[in-house]
Amino acid sequence: MFQYEKVLQYPVNIKNPNPALAKVIISQLGGPDGEVGAAMRYLNQRYAAPCREVQAILTDIGTEELGHMEMVAAILYQLTRNLSVSEIKESGFDAYFVDHTTGIYPAAASGPAFTADYLQSTGDPLADMHEDLAAEQKARLTYDNILRLVDDPDVRDPIKFLREREIVHYQRFGEGLRKIQDMLDSKNFYAFNPSFDKQKPKRK
Amino acid sequence: MENNKQKALRKLMAARFALHDAELYLDSHPDCQEGLRYFRAKREQAEKLRNEYETEFGSLTSRCTKADERWEWVCGAFPWERGES
Repeated sequence: MFQYEKVLQYPVNIKNPNPALAKVIISQLGGPDGEVGAAMRYLNQRYAAPCREVQAILTDIGTEELGHMEMVAAILYQLTRNLSVSEIKESGFDAYFVDHTTGIYPAAASGPAFTADYLQSTGDPLADMHEDLAAEQKARLTYDNILRLVDDPDVRDPIKFLREREIVHYQRFGEGLRKIQDMLDSKNFYAFNPSFDKQKPKRK
Repeated sequence: MENNKQKALRKLMAARFALHDAELYLDSHPDCQEGLRYFRAKREQAEKLRNEYETEFGSLTSRCTKADERWEWVCGAFPWERGES
């Protein structure tokens, strides 16, 4: 069960609206390596996790990603408040505006709407853990790219926090991967997962 | 047959569900005095049941674990396992 807390994980207070920045930052909401995909990936993968530690890592990081979804949305919301028609036209925000006004819609900066094609849940804990490590690196580099494009310190500050969280999550998933590898047969040099083929007979 | 843990959990789940449903109702009826009375009563009941459950069977959130010698969060089963809800 999930419960909502009326607090952001890290403060978002942006003085100057800037729809041009919202246009690129939206990728970290609904883009290929965004927070919606991250939350959906981990919270759906956790049922295949073979031990409590990895179940807990996926549950707790997946939950944090829901909080990051909210932070990115808060950034977008504040960047697009009180816009004039000329600001919308001049910033190139008009293409988004015509479909969504200033509503928060999970889409990539390059246009496409969020899709579950951005994530996998394989049922194989080793494959999932490798996907998760890659996902954290890809999200980190997207935040790096956003930081290359953004000068406003009010926006950079929460983006830097989110970038650092990707690095911490990468560490935790690395430990999760190690934990799963330790559960494998020591002769399993190639780190594939035999658990699916060696299932205990189903209870009648 | 339900064990004691499941029995305690069922009572807590029922109380929490009533509380949650009252929350939804109050979102659209924030001045309803009868709704507010119902919410307060259910909250008291749910909190009592939660305390009893957590004392005996362990914490429902990682934030509330005792955290004295071991991180209990990874000791108990997660609720999607058969027999854990």
